[in-house]
Amino acid sequence: MSAESPLEIAERALVLSDGDTQVTVVRERSLLSRYARSAPTQATAVDDTSVEILSLRDGHTAIASTNRLDDDALRATAARAVAAARAAASSGAGTHPGLAEPSGEPPAHDGFDEATARLDPQLAAAALRAAFDVAAEHDLEAFGVWSAGDVQTAIATTTGLRLHDRVSDAFMKAVCRDRDGRSGYAVDAATAAAAIDPEALAHRAAAKVAAGPLAELGPGTYPVVLEPEAVGLLLEFLGELAHSGLAHAEGRGALDGRLGTRVAAPAITLTDAPAHGRTLPRAFDMEGIAKAPVTLIEEGFATSVVHDLHSAAIAGAGARSTGHATQPGGSPWGPSPTNLVLDGGEAADGAELAATIERGIYVTRLWYVNTVREKETLLTGMTRDGTFLIEDGRISRPLRDVRFTDSVLRLLEATEALTREQRLVTEGEFYGRRFAHGVACPALRAGGFRVTGATAD
Amino acid sequence: MAEPILHLLTEAIAAAPSRCSYAEARHVATDADDVLVRNGRVDHVDSDSVAGVGVRVRVGGGWGFAATREETPAAVQAALARALAIAESQPTAPAGALAPVEPARGHWSCGYELDPLAVSLEDKLELLFAAEAALRGDARIVRSEAECESRRVRTAFASSEGAACTQERVECGASIAVIAVDGDELQVRSYPSAHGGSGASAGWEHVLGFDLAGHAPRIAAEAIELLTAPPCPAGRATVVLDGDQLALQIHESIGHALELDRMLLGEAAYAGTSWVTAADLGALRYGSEQLHIAADATLPGGLGSFGWDDEGVAAMRTPLIEGGVLRAALSDRQSAATIGLERSAGCARADGFARQPIVRMTNVSIEPGSAGTLADLLADTGEGLYLETNRSWSIDDRRLQFQFGTELAREIRGGELGRLLRNPSYSGITPRFWSSLDAVCSASDWKLRGLGNCGKGEPGQLMRVSHGAAPARFRDVEVGVA
Repeated sequence: MSAESPLEIAERALVLSDGDTQVTVVRERSLLSRYARSAPTQATAVDDTSVEILSLRDGHTAIASTNRLDDDALRATAARAVAAARAAASSGAGTHPGLAEPSGEPPAHDGFDEATARLDPQLAAAALRAAFDVAAEHDLEAFGVWSAGDVQTAIATTTGLRLHDRVSDAFMKAVCRDRDGRSGYAVDAATAAAAIDPEALAHRAAAKVAAGPLAELGPGTYPVVLEPEAVGLLLEFLGELAHSGLAHAEGRGALDGRLGTRVAAPAITLTDAPAHGRTLPRAFDMEGIAKAPVTLIEEGFATSVVHDLHSAAIAGAGARSTGHATQPGGSPWGPSPTNLVLDGGEAADGAELAATIERGIYVTRLWYVNTVREKETLLTGMTRDGTFLIEDGRISRPLRDVRFTDSVLRLLEATEALTREQRLVTEGEFYGRRFAHGVACPALRAGGFRVTGATAD
Repeated sequence: MAEPILHLLTEAIAAAPSRCSYAEARHVATDADDVLVRNGRVDHVDSDSVAGVGVRVRVGGGWGFAATREETPAAVQAALARALAIAESQPTAPAGALAPVEPARGHWSCGYELDPLAVSLEDKLELLFAAEAALRGDARIVRSEAECESRRVRTAFASSEGAACTQERVECGASIAVIAVDGDELQVRSYPSAHGGSGASAGWEHVLGFDLAGHAPRIAAEAIELLTAPPCPAGRATVVLDGDQLALQIHESIGHALELDRMLLGEAAYAGTSWVTAADLGALRYGSEQLHIAADATLPGGLGSFGWDDEGVAAMRTPLIEGGVLRAALSDRQSAATIGLERSAGCARADGFARQPIVRMTNVSIEPGSAGTLADLLADTGEGLYLETNRSWSIDDRRLQFQFGTELAREIRGGELGRLLRNPSYSGITPRFWSSLDAVCSASDWKLRGLGNCGKGEPGQLMRVSHGAAPARFRDVEVGVA
């Protein structure tokens, strides 16, 4: 293990670079244990440090990255970045407005837990045993994952930024399954592993496994109750399609021409709130801009989009970075909100939301959701691991999984009620470098959920 | 460089304690660059050079894997110790055998003419600027882009069963794309395929063969035309899928469904299971008699081609479906042994040094048929829809119910392509859909197409695979569902 801190590595790389430069160092330590059929299957421990060197020339950025930390490797990486930026600049002036300037200490947060950062495999083993025991009690098998991470991010720039952030996260997923393939699902995430109760989680998953014949629904529109896991996934898509400042500036965003207008029901207030108690906080974005809360939809009215430095420059009209860069220099697809929070309502739980529905659908989670038409926020996907028919105000019978093809904004416009309680929901997908994030949201009831198909035997 | 690294790995594995029934170490060094020109300017120029070692061990039935970026004996020994500690801390797991394998020895590399990482950045930018400029000209095009990527992956692998081998693979790809907007209407066109272009395990000659600038005016014009084209009608129709869309259809509704770990419920909590069970092998009718599918890791140019998979199993060709009947599955050593197969199908693949191998596709392709060229197939079809270039995709967790959208459809009228239709989509149930296949174009229209973003595993792994496909015809398909 290197004794040098991420910020010290960033400062060393900066000295080895030439011209306007941002160095971003991310150190990931993580442990992830998978299980299936009530037995462990795979366990992965990662210890890696990546260095990204961004060179800026005449409004053009270029990035070179490495995970070799010796001076020669860092010098060669910096040289690659500089050469690439020079080549890009030879095509004429670019549109990047320049690196972030220091603006004081970013806000403090409580997103790091020392015990979680120890990545103790015994904690993982205990969580798995708890899930196996609960599943056995219900004559079911347990499937899922337990994971913990410790991620440090440091940024040093030639403009004088010197930033360091450290966050921990823990995630557990439990799927309980019977012999017929009926399954139930529950997840939890937090900054501290101790905040996750594996036994309670497994009980929640087991409670979703319903015996009895499957009800079926044909294509059509139905009232729906979406649990937080389903709502959160839809909101993540909304963040990309509607609230990306670059998509908006390019005229391809779903709120193009609609900011300031009503786009959702009055009960809908959506913010990006990095300090919210249920979210996974971060001090600054990948350009070193401090994270600050942004209201995206307020009582049904679309209020704003989020920016990184580059998208703000392209948008013009006084737009400024809101601290939503997802990579140094900004992503080609623009900034994105990663701390979404949907305000809760008055309902006690999903059962209360279902109480007013004569015939409808209760959805635990959605799966393989993808965009059909961007400007309409039209998505398609399947229900999975706990879909039920609602009859006469009761969650009555298991339902064959259905395909939906519907607009997120239309669903939010048709939202009638939400639960008080918000849950932090995440898919726990850690592709590439670990970047734990999630959406804090309640369950909701909406009208007109469009079903376009169902799965088969 | 390969010999010292291989020595490092073999020394580390030799130190694995006897209680460890199996151990392997894999070094992966990846050099890559990605260049994007967007809206007349260089959007980004990224280059990446990463390396590290992953150590995987088995104690009893429990697996442990630990990865480190440090390439020193001490760091690799520490990774081995960490992997052992993780394996031993876990609840008991069944200790089944692994399918036997001949120890991998030697070196393999893919063939290529022009090293894509040796092509200068200036040359890449010149090619991309020329292509991107040819996309612009109409104010309704709000985003135009041209992109290329190049990659070299060197691996070294050693195992406690005597494997000690090295491999080198070179890959590249390129694409152009536009987004056209008029009011609330937004349309997308891409070439040569959507989602980042069609990569191949090949040299820069692969990119030059695309003639991006030559195709750009057509792509831009089609995007504009789509803005006011009539919508694709809803109903049931005869559909001809172009090779690009058919490749994704194979990927989602055959490739993933035939991963043996999914059939055995190993992926039930994430990627999902399969409508196919291990008991179906050799008997299940998957589709019509026109359907012949093989997984072939020996195909030149495939992103799923290699000398050995990431468990050291030699590359092979495995017929998966013959005449519509299921014959075999994609497997690794553990899943193959679980159902009593004599050998793994050589499909264990890992995304970089920090991920462990899991069952993945290699190059899963439909065999060419006898329908002649696309023109021949259209002439034989008479009336229907021709669907081209994927735009959206979704399938359930058992790989049964799917819904796809393509960038465009064209009417087939009187055996020829007619007017453009916007927002086409189709859906189906996997075995019914493949049973409606009644014609596949011949070898002259068959091409290998790369997909670079196949997601699976926890922590997530993106795999690069290829699919050989030719245009094919399906009868009585539900269209216009979205």
